[in-house]
Amino acid sequence: MSPLSPDTLTPRPERPRPERARPETARPTDDGGSPEAAPVLALHDVRVTDRAGDREIVHGVTFTLTPGKAVGIVGESGSGKTLTCRAVLGILPPHFEVSGGRVDLMGEDTATKTPRQWTDLRGSTIGAVFQDPASYLNPAITVGAQIAEVLRVKRGLSRRAARRRAVELLAAVRLRDPGRVHGQYVHELSGGMLQRVLIAAAVAVEPRALIADEATTALDVTVQAEILDLLADLRERTGLALVVVSHDLAVVAHLCDEVLVMRRGEVVEQGETRSVLHHPRHPYTRLLVAEHEQYGLDRFRHPSGGVMTTPAVKAAREAEPGAVLEVTGLDVHHGRGRARRRVLRDVTLGIAPGEIVGLIGETGSGKSTLARAVLGLVPPSAGSIRVAGEDVGAYGPRQWRALRRRGVIQYVFQDPLRSLDPDLTIEDSLVEPLLIQGVRRKEAAPRVRSFLDRVRLTPDLLERLPAELSGGQRQRVAVARALVTGPRLVVLDEPVSALDSANRVQVLEILKELRASGVALLLISHDLGSVAGTADRVAVLHRGELVETGAARDIVNHPVHPYTRLLLGSAPTLRGRPAGRAEREALRALPAD
Amino acid sequence: MTTTAPPVTPVRRRVAVAGVRHAAGRVLAVLARSAAVFAPVFLVATFVTFALRSLSGLSPARVQLGEEATPEAIERVEAQWGLDRPFLTQYGDWFTSVLHGDLGTSWVNGADISTLIGLGLGVSLSVATFALIIGVFAGFLLGTVAALRRTTVIDRTITGFVTVISVMPAFVVGIVLVSVLAVGLGLFPSAGYVPAEQGAGAWLAHITLPALALSFDVVADVARQLRSSLVGAYQENYVTGAVVRGLSPRRIFFTHVLRNALGPTLATLGQKFPALVGASVVTEWIFGLQGFGRFANDSAQAGDVPAVQGVLVVSIALVVSFNLVVNLVLAHVTPASRRGV
Amino acid sequence: MVRRVLALTSGRIAVVILAVIALLALLGPWLAPQDPLATGDHALAAYSAGHWMGTDHLGRDVLSRLLDGSRVSVLGSLEVALVALVAGAVPGILSVHLGRVFEWLTLRIADTLVALPFLLFAIAVIALLGNGITQAMLVTGTLVSPLFYRVSRAATLAVARSAYVEAAIVSGASIGWIVRRHVWAKVLPPIAVALAQTVGVGFVIVSSLTFLGIGVQPPEPTWGGLLASDLGYLGHRPWAPVAPALLIMITVWACNLLADAIRDVSGEAGRAPANDRKARAHRREAAGPHPAGGSR
Repeated sequence: MSPLSPDTLTPRPERPRPERARPETARPTDDGGSPEAAPVLALHDVRVTDRAGDREIVHGVTFTLTPGKAVGIVGESGSGKTLTCRAVLGILPPHFEVSGGRVDLMGEDTATKTPRQWTDLRGSTIGAVFQDPASYLNPAITVGAQIAEVLRVKRGLSRRAARRRAVELLAAVRLRDPGRVHGQYVHELSGGMLQRVLIAAAVAVEPRALIADEATTALDVTVQAEILDLLADLRERTGLALVVVSHDLAVVAHLCDEVLVMRRGEVVEQGETRSVLHHPRHPYTRLLVAEHEQYGLDRFRHPSGGVMTTPAVKAAREAEPGAVLEVTGLDVHHGRGRARRRVLRDVTLGIAPGEIVGLIGETGSGKSTLARAVLGLVPPSAGSIRVAGEDVGAYGPRQWRALRRRGVIQYVFQDPLRSLDPDLTIEDSLVEPLLIQGVRRKEAAPRVRSFLDRVRLTPDLLERLPAELSGGQRQRVAVARALVTGPRLVVLDEPVSALDSANRVQVLEILKELRASGVALLLISHDLGSVAGTADRVAVLHRGELVETGAARDIVNHPVHPYTRLLLGSAPTLRGRPAGRAEREALRALPAD
Repeated sequence: MTTTAPPVTPVRRRVAVAGVRHAAGRVLAVLARSAAVFAPVFLVATFVTFALRSLSGLSPARVQLGEEATPEAIERVEAQWGLDRPFLTQYGDWFTSVLHGDLGTSWVNGADISTLIGLGLGVSLSVATFALIIGVFAGFLLGTVAALRRTTVIDRTITGFVTVISVMPAFVVGIVLVSVLAVGLGLFPSAGYVPAEQGAGAWLAHITLPALALSFDVVADVARQLRSSLVGAYQENYVTGAVVRGLSPRRIFFTHVLRNALGPTLATLGQKFPALVGASVVTEWIFGLQGFGRFANDSAQAGDVPAVQGVLVVSIALVVSFNLVVNLVLAHVTPASRRGV
Repeated sequence: MVRRVLALTSGRIAVVILAVIALLALLGPWLAPQDPLATGDHALAAYSAGHWMGTDHLGRDVLSRLLDGSRVSVLGSLEVALVALVAGAVPGILSVHLGRVFEWLTLRIADTLVALPFLLFAIAVIALLGNGITQAMLVTGTLVSPLFYRVSRAATLAVARSAYVEAAIVSGASIGWIVRRHVWAKVLPPIAVALAQTVGVGFVIVSSLTFLGIGVQPPEPTWGGLLASDLGYLGHRPWAPVAPALLIMITVWACNLLADAIRDVSGEAGRAPANDRKARAHRREAAGPHPAGGSR
């Protein structure tokens, strides 16, 4: 039985507002959008200008959205895709304005709408969900009350009826125990749950179109699969038209009929999804697709996939045999007393010189804890950790400091902005590890400069502050800082998850080049594609246990453990179809062994 | 239809029950936490207060007998007051009687201190409450208008006005009010107090000026804090979320923005209260009110240690209970996580 | 930081005012045209060549008393601020590093001090421990120290939990290194803001006390005392309180202005405008298109 039963989301025939009559084709029919259906949303050469700088940012976007259809917009950050969405919603930032073209909602030009009319339109005709759902809900009110609020304002429902309907909606977005969720606050729910709540609130009064702006970005892959399913379901059952904005081609490929590729405010290619993504014509689209194939899972469906071991890497490994990192039977506990719980259980993992081991796991799987244990930031409760031949498991603070000062282990953080002191120049940040070692500043500075080239940074960045760099540049600075001491092992915790495609590829390429110098890398990520495209071996962490370890190609092509299969099956790809809901449920239900 | 209808009713009931339990539990949790914070506060503060006498070296004998008292006479009087016993015993006795509402007797005239303070407290509380009402009302008005019209002339005018009144100490405000409104224009009585029983009009007329003088500081702090919290809240994503859901600006202000901005403002109000109690000393002096602050001043000048101790104990109790109320309101307004508990 | 504060108009105004007031406090006795304590025959005289601001009810020169009276207030407020700084900031920074017991203890003490009405306490302490402003300011400083405790603790906590400190730890940095290199620059600005505010608060407290006649012996001139005595003959000279009241207000205002200026030029928010300018300059050099708004 699907909780999304017809009566929960499709009371179209007895809609209380006859004045906003739907065209006949808007009914949830067998195929949502027949060619003659009246468009829900039509953009004609929409341009957005920044009045402050008097610059045009979006240079003409045109598309038509009929009921039950989905249009995808892809592009890197700064390509203007979010501004386009905001223009459609009538919520452009203060000094931005639609300077050309027109946006038609249900056949009416939105330029003529008064603020009051806009208020009526939003929510009931067009809705939106965003990345980082936690920030889009009021932290001081229960999430259920925020859905009920929309129903009461827009539908005039009584307090009681609104609450009942809100609980129904929470059930319809497949939240377990909707009655409980109704009374909870934002801080009590996970990101995936909050995105469902946000969707429930957005579709509460059945808008005709929904804008999903990076709505699944930063979610775990299995959660993303469920949210994508939910959106597809809503579209199919209620004829909801979707605008899907994403930097992930696979998400768009999975959901959309038509795709727009945007770059620097310009639509460089537009057309039917399959033809654009399978046969890209514009060089930029080709680049995006190529990057995705390198660091996505599609390529592994082909026999040539995987990471190549170059002669240089082979030589580096043979020059220094033996493992750089050996973790054996590691247990880690968090908390004390009754709150004490096991975060890692019997983890065994080794990394050789010049090897990249990818660690995959979802939120709460314990992957960051493993990194922190290796770095000595979390004490192990059982098992041993050997770094470069030294048994560090029992090291005290003094011994750790001595080890760290030799620069043997380094760490690269997820958020490059916060991992650099905002008050120090890039040069100051880069020389810091050397200064700590006791190297004089005069000697440290030239050593730092020699590393810039390897991470593709120019020396003119050295005197800037972190805030003046782009995200990709900052992360490359963080990588350079980790390398200046000549470490044997570098632990990278989600180094590319905050970056867009081009920067992600650049950082991953740098990591692959590093192998020739013999450094061992532990690459932690929830993004299967980047790990599979970069790592020699992959380890899958699930609820604190390593459930599967093996060569990247083998894991991707022949996953054995049900959880690995679930992870891979959940990830959308450009060509293949991901596992369906039923299939995923079956994998979830399989016993661990 | 039938597939979802049946489970709905139990679900709803569960929600309602959980809601009630939630609210009651939250009030209890706040009370427990506040008690945990304030019990040590009260203990330490009273101990310090009591230790003042030993540190001061003052004695009732000096107050009563004058400078030329013989050592024997002094000893006799001190024994009479129980001051020859060990310090901790004295503190224990004193603390026990404080808990029973007995603050001891004055060295100067032997009167019961609880009664004396009780007499003055009515005056001071009338003034302080009125000042708080003015402060909250005007502060909210100014802060809200400034935030809603931010970066306009109105905002700058209000911000400027708030800056001016924030640098005016209570006694300066008091003097200006007396000289302009009372002496100059004769609109209000310049000094004295009439209890409410003798006519609400006269009562209000007598407490308006002192309350105004006290309220300036509150107005300034509340307005400033509320403005910045409102401006901050308006930049949050949840406002965008509410806009996209099609809620009206008015609704967004009241249920989303104001609600989140209220927390820091209430906290500011809680921190303002001790200053208000202290400033009452000055305003009561200016306006000739025989209140709590005046009593504190007179007792201190006279070296009447038990009276001063009583004043401090009562003021601490006032601050603590006011903060308790603020915490309860805060708990109602914001869920637990955001208070950093 | 000093240079950045002086770059702001408000910062310059505040610094100039405070410098003048400080000079008055230092040189007041020499600047005063007449002996501030000398009584004369012309009580309550109007403005004249001999007495630029007239005389008070005992025929003393008002201008001289104003100039001389700044000393008590300035010294007192500085004392409050410095005592509060030491009593608050040091435990505030240490509370993050010295373990849970110390943390719990200092937190409780801060809670306690906040609950004490400091003006009442100051009065009580002066009256009972001796009629001196110094002791009272010692106590007042202690009572307002929780502000410093809270501010410095919050700043230290934020730094201690930051990824860049962790990065330094992973590189083998000692506590001393981290404090010198990272913590200091983050904790100093909020403490400076609190210091400027506290000087203002201290000024109000000292003025209030001297207004009540507490803490100073009668003939000695103070701004608060001048105000109080002016209040006695408001009918004869209604404008008499204006000068001391204005002086007090301007000083407090300058302190707040300075606090705001420091806040504006420090921290993430403060660096932003300067960086924007720099970043724009860089971008012009790069001459390439750059992201605007866009998705996050």
